[in-house]
Amino acid sequence: MKMLGLAVLSLLVAPIVYAQAPLGTATPAQQKIAWAEAAIKAHPERNQPYNDLAVAFVQRVRETADPSYYLQAETFVQKSLQITPDNLEGQKARIMILLGRGEFGQARVLAKALNKNTPDDVLVYGFIADADIALGDYEDADIAAQWMLDMRPGNVPGLLRGAALRRLYGDTHGAAEFLSQSYQQIAPTQTEDLAWTLTQMADLQLSTGDIDGAEKLLHSALQQFPGYYAILEDLARVQTARQHYSESVELLRQRNLKFPTAASRYALAEALERAGENTEAGLAYTDFATTARARINGSDNANRELIFYYLGFGHDLAEALRIAQLEISRRHDVSTLDAYAWALCGNGRYEEAQKQVAAALAVGIREARIFYHAGVIAAKLHDSASAVRYFNQSVELNPSSESAVAAREALQKLLPRSAAAHGAK
Amino acid sequence: MIQKILSLLLLIGGLAGSAPVRAQQNATDDLIKSLQARVKRNAEDHAGYAQLGAAYLQKGRETADAADYELAKSALEKSLDLLSNDPAAAFAMTQMAVVGMVEHRFEDALAWAQKALALGSGDPSPWAIAGDALADMGDYRGAAEAYSRLQNPYGSQDEKLSLSYRRDSRMSFLRFVAGDTQGAIQLMRGAVHTAIETHMPAENIAWSEYQLAEEFFLAGETDAAEKAYLASLEECPNYYRALAGLAKVRASQREYVQAVTLYKEAIARVPYPEYAAALGDIYRKLGQLDDAKKQYELVEFIGYLSQLNQQIHNRDLALFYADHDLKLHESLALAQKELEVRRDIYTWDVLAWSSFKNGKLQEAATAIAHALEQGTNDPQLFFHAGMIYQNLGDSPKAKEYLQRALEINPEFHIAYAEAARQALNRLNKPQGELSAREANNAP
Repeated sequence: MKMLGLAVLSLLVAPIVYAQAPLGTATPAQQKIAWAEAAIKAHPERNQPYNDLAVAFVQRVRETADPSYYLQAETFVQKSLQITPDNLEGQKARIMILLGRGEFGQARVLAKALNKNTPDDVLVYGFIADADIALGDYEDADIAAQWMLDMRPGNVPGLLRGAALRRLYGDTHGAAEFLSQSYQQIAPTQTEDLAWTLTQMADLQLSTGDIDGAEKLLHSALQQFPGYYAILEDLARVQTARQHYSESVELLRQRNLKFPTAASRYALAEALERAGENTEAGLAYTDFATTARARINGSDNANRELIFYYLGFGHDLAEALRIAQLEISRRHDVSTLDAYAWALCGNGRYEEAQKQVAAALAVGIREARIFYHAGVIAAKLHDSASAVRYFNQSVELNPSSESAVAAREALQKLLPRSAAAHGAK
Repeated sequence: MIQKILSLLLLIGGLAGSAPVRAQQNATDDLIKSLQARVKRNAEDHAGYAQLGAAYLQKGRETADAADYELAKSALEKSLDLLSNDPAAAFAMTQMAVVGMVEHRFEDALAWAQKALALGSGDPSPWAIAGDALADMGDYRGAAEAYSRLQNPYGSQDEKLSLSYRRDSRMSFLRFVAGDTQGAIQLMRGAVHTAIETHMPAENIAWSEYQLAEEFFLAGETDAAEKAYLASLEECPNYYRALAGLAKVRASQREYVQAVTLYKEAIARVPYPEYAAALGDIYRKLGQLDDAKKQYELVEFIGYLSQLNQQIHNRDLALFYADHDLKLHESLALAQKELEVRRDIYTWDVLAWSSFKNGKLQEAATAIAHALEQGTNDPQLFFHAGMIYQNLGDSPKAKEYLQRALEINPEFHIAYAEAARQALNRLNKPQGELSAREANNAP
């Protein structure tokens, strides 16, 4: 925790220079769009400005959460590839779009092929790592991220992938260190990148129960990129951790004013439920379920949220399991493994559930919710010792999490039994 | 003069150089040839094009030929056509920023440096150019912050030293601007030491020694300046900047014949308008008015030789015209035009001086206030300020600035040191003793 705090402090005091944007109040992606459009006007015969424009539109999606920019990005990639078929940057832009749309399998195939032809391109390794992380192939992701850092020590895209992997491996301090190093290298003009990195850092703080630290980082991020949806989502989580549910609802309402995702609709529904606004929560859950179900077979789905919805408010355990099976056939990342395990558990298939949650935890991930799920599954299998251990891990890791509250209750029920069992031995 | 410092900073961090300059040029030519062959073999070689662009830039530094910068730009554009969205593209983008600096397109330079930084390559080099652009645009605080980012925890020891050299040599200039001349000298001494210690190319060492010499000269430490100019020439014989610097020292020592020879040698290598103007001033001092006239004509010829020269020599020409009471309206127009893109203290100074020479005293006062606002201890700024305040009738301020100019360096300029003394004498005389001409010493 101490190290994490130091890393955070260094982020807050990092110098910020020439914050003024060359094009007034335009966001970094908007500036890139303007530059690329000017370049196209000057040189319509060149492919590169079209690639730059496509990449800028992909970046604009992250700035706004508006997926319609992918359509524009795709148009310009096609234009670029018409001018110069198979040009490297055009292919990279195409992979970026695929990754953004959640087409991880296809993105990985293309990135691997591109990597074969251009093994010295750092970002192509980054794309492989992204797809691998999403699909749960962490070993391969690790190799790709390591290549990035070996080829160009200290490069920001490499550090960010490294941070994601370290977090998955349970190395919270290591992840914070990489995020801190990234933040300090990001150009001050890249306000969204800065805000995004701070949000990741805050997310990490939240996962360890440091609510105040997370909030500070998020406010710092808001100064960088005001109104950023990712910050509002995390600020809502901060309020939830403080059990300030109404504030959480307000933040999520604000977040969902523009381009709500299925996941952000789900977050709002959960927040409303916690705040006791049951009628509105019901409507919000319905809104979420309608949106999410429409994409159940798509790549950019919200199936993990949908699984938890059916295990909870949606009361359809079989549907939860059906969706979980569908999703696990596509990817084996820790979140999907956990959701699948929880769906199996909800359907009374504890041994299978135990296998899946063990697979998730074997990666090294340290998340209060997964520990809690593992505890419940162990308890169902009458493995009290493991259950106590997992519940304790959940509570110790993030005492302010909702899972911790449930874990404490479970521990109270379990501990006399566990002690008795221990005494009998 | 110190006005040149920032553009000279661009010399740092270029490709390898070796002594003497002629040999360096040959090495650069060879490098260009080999890189041309490399990209001919593989037209998709983005790194080859980027390096070719950098090599052309180096060539441009050595020859001051605008055509080399155009070639650099083409090669870099080609590189960025092939690769622009990868940390590896940061090098080509940084070189594009350098082209922007050379061509005095400071906003473009800053934008390219920012683009390079946005790629997050792990190499902090673009901060140097971002800082240079900000300094030329008058944002010294931003420049200092940018230079402070010239650190790389991931680099080798040599890379770290190279960055510390780039940081210190640039921060030295900022210290000077902030009025801490001794602090500037100390930093530059450190940079020279690092350059030698890390076996930097001879041209870089020579540049560092030359830069230190410039700071000594501005501080009025003429002997130390002379030693440093000689050290620069020892490192890189016939180095045109050191030749011109030494010429300036010789002129201040009233060794005019030697000064003429040295200026001629410098101009033969790279004909900077500033050198021709200084040589003309010496001829004028020696009473060789025809020779002086020829040099003054050369200043204008160089200044208008090409589109690029017109762009990069605006301020030099504005100062030259104002100094020599020539084409004063054009001088003012050039200074105003320069201020549109360059808002550093020296552009404000030239605007002040041109305004003064055009009889626009209030405008001159406003401009010189901007030039002085950083607290820079530069005799030229103080001289200009003194003359402006004298004509505004503010004798205490006029005396203060003229005295400060002469205290720093009694021979700060071949003509103006004497003019400062005379003006001070006039100001110190009781009003009744002034002749009618002196009393109406309008610009």
